[in-house]
This record gives sequence, C-alpha cells and structure tokens, in this order.
Amino acid sequence: MRAVHLYISMLFFVMITLCAVPALAHFGTVIPSDDIVSQDDSKTLSIEIKFTHPLEMHYMEMVKPKQFGVVHDGNKQDLLSTLKEAKGKGADQDRTFTFWKADYKIRRPGDYTFFVEPTPYWEPAEDVFIVHYTKVCVNALGLEEMWDQPLGLETEIVPLTRPYGLWTNNLFTGQVLLKGKPVPFAEVEVEYLNESPGNPAVVHPPADAYITQVVKADANGIFSYAMPRAGWWGFAALNEADWKLKHKNEEKGVEIGAVFWVRTRDMK
Amino acid sequence: MSVSWKYIAVSAVAMLILAGTAMAHKVSLFAYVEAGKVYTESYFSDGRPVAGGKVKVYDSSKNLLLEGVTDKEGLFSFDIPKIDDLTIELDATMGHKNSYKIKKAEVEAGK
Repeated sequence: MRAVHLYISMLFFVMITLCAVPALAHFGTVIPSDDIVSQDDSKTLSIEIKFTHPLEMHYMEMVKPKQFGVVHDGNKQDLLSTLKEAKGKGADQDRTFTFWKADYKIRRPGDYTFFVEPTPYWEPAEDVFIVHYTKVCVNALGLEEMWDQPLGLETEIVPLTRPYGLWTNNLFTGQVLLKGKPVPFAEVEVEYLNESPGNPAVVHPPADAYITQVVKADANGIFSYAMPRAGWWGFAALNEADWKLKHKNEEKGVEIGAVFWVRTRDMK
Repeated sequence: MSVSWKYIAVSAVAMLILAGTAMAHKVSLFAYVEAGKVYTESYFSDGRPVAGGKVKVYDSSKNLLLEGVTDKEGLFSFDIPKIDDLTIELDATMGHKNSYKIKKAEVEAGK
C-alpha cells in the first residue's frame, strides 16, 4: 500500500516537472537595424545576435558563435571576426548576459542573408544541447534576388514569402529543411520580439499559451503564420539531431532549430 | 460580332497582364566611384538589367552635367564630371524612373 502511495506521488512529481518546462521557448535571435536599406539610409547595418525568450524578453548566456556570416549574390562571407561581445538583460532579470554585436557595411544592391550557427548551448532543464541555425534577410537598394535560396545549413527555414517589406497581418510562409530535405509536419514555434524597436507597449500574454504560438507544417514542410503586430517575428522549427554531444562524459541529445526572423510594419 | 468581342476581351486581358508585369518590376539604379570613374548599374527588381535606359547626371545645383544610355548589361560609366554631390537619374522605358545620389565625399574618395 505504501509503495503504491510513493509511486503515485512520484508520478505526480514527474508530471509537474514535465509540465513546467515547455513554457520556455528558446530562440536564436539575429536582429539587424533594418530589413531594407534604401539609398538615403545608412549603409552600415548593426546586427545583434542573442539567445533569448523573445516575448518574455529573457536573455540567456551566449558564448561566441561557431559561424557568423552573410550570403550575397551566391557568395558567402565569413564575418566571425567582426563580432564584439556585449552585455544585456531583460527588465525582470537580475543579472546581465553575454550577446554579440557586429556592424556590416552594405556595398552593393541585392539580398543579404545573415546566418549564425551558435556554439551548442547546454540546457539542464531539458537535458539536451540546443543549436539554433538562425537567419535573417536584408534587402539593399531595390534588387530583390536570392532571398528564396537555401544556404545549405544543417537545418534552415527557406522563405516562400519575400522576407522583407511585410505589413502587419501578412502571412509568412516558409519551408523547413533538414539536411536540404523538407521536414513533413515539422513543428514551428513563433514568437514576437517584445524588444522590437518601435513596439509602443510591452505585450503581456494573457496565458502561457500566448507566449509561443505553434503551427505545424504540411507534408512538404511548408508552414504559414499571420503576424498580428508590427515588429520582429521569429520562427523556429525544431528537430532532434541524428548526432549526440557529450556533457560531462555522457552522450546527450541535440535539439537543432531552424530559425528565421522577419519584420512587419503597420499600414499607415 | 462575337469574334470581335472575343478579340477585345483577349486584348484587354493581354494588356492587363502586360501592365501588371511592368508595374511589378520597379527599376533601380546603383552607382559607385572608383579610380576616377563613376560606374552605374541599372536593374529591374528581379535582377534583369535595364538596357537602353537614359541616364542623366546632375550636380548639387541641378545642372545637367552629362547624359548617356545603358548598355545590354544595364551599365553606363563616365569620368568624374565634377567634385560635388551627384544625382544620377535613370529613365527606363514605360515611364519607369529612379535616381541615386552620390555624396561629394564619396566622389572625392574615388578620384
């Protein structure tokens, strides 16, 4: 009898612990100072690279990424050496966390897709490593080419909606690729960046389910989401890697995320 | 009678399609200065070059300094006409226009 009681209470404990975890959605966060560079704009973009809970404005510690670069007109440029360390924190966090900053000078027209492959992040709460391959596309000077091209990352979202010049409420459609192949019925998490420049008021979710929106892709790995507010929106398609990483000599699973960021503006 | 109506309908549709294509392809001009020359590139938003586009170059007082025509690749280049803020205007076919400004400092740097 006592054993049964113990069993039931342990079961409850496990259930409570499991329930507590999924509210926190991590996002590789790569935000440029603008998504469109016009001729009267500054040609120097400043880019911030973070690991966050975007809606809750929580920062997590980020060590220097493994890869940071840009693809323009089919040419890949390594920008890792341009990264500068910075510190930041969310309004309700009591310490600062490391993130990364870079300046990039636009020299020619066309689409610039920036990408980051972070160093694997150990998440004890989920007993996994997290690696979010994160992309954002900036258009320069009216030449709209190449935004629809995959970069060949381990996993990535390829936009089917042109990923800049989007209005609030536009539908963003993308395809989730893993090793270059579509991921049928991939789960895609969507969050609003509460730190978005120009956000008139911090969004307070009425319930936890509002923090992270979830959509599933179709059989071809294609998903859509309509973005109800002006600012930056992050899309994260999560998959389990078919490789492991060691944590304290123990093999652990790796969550690999394909993340894409787009900006919306109100029609006015 | 019915044939001519069909003809009108088809032409109307064709005109709409043509007009739509033209509308959707905004033209742009990009310019930079290198080794004493100003290089311009004119293109549609999808990357096709604007061939035979008229290019006009103005100084900061809006005086016309020179003009030219883009080649098959949408390119047109010329020697630096003046150390000044330059406005380069592109007039493509079908009334599509755009312009690009080069600051005096950039012209000076490319001498």
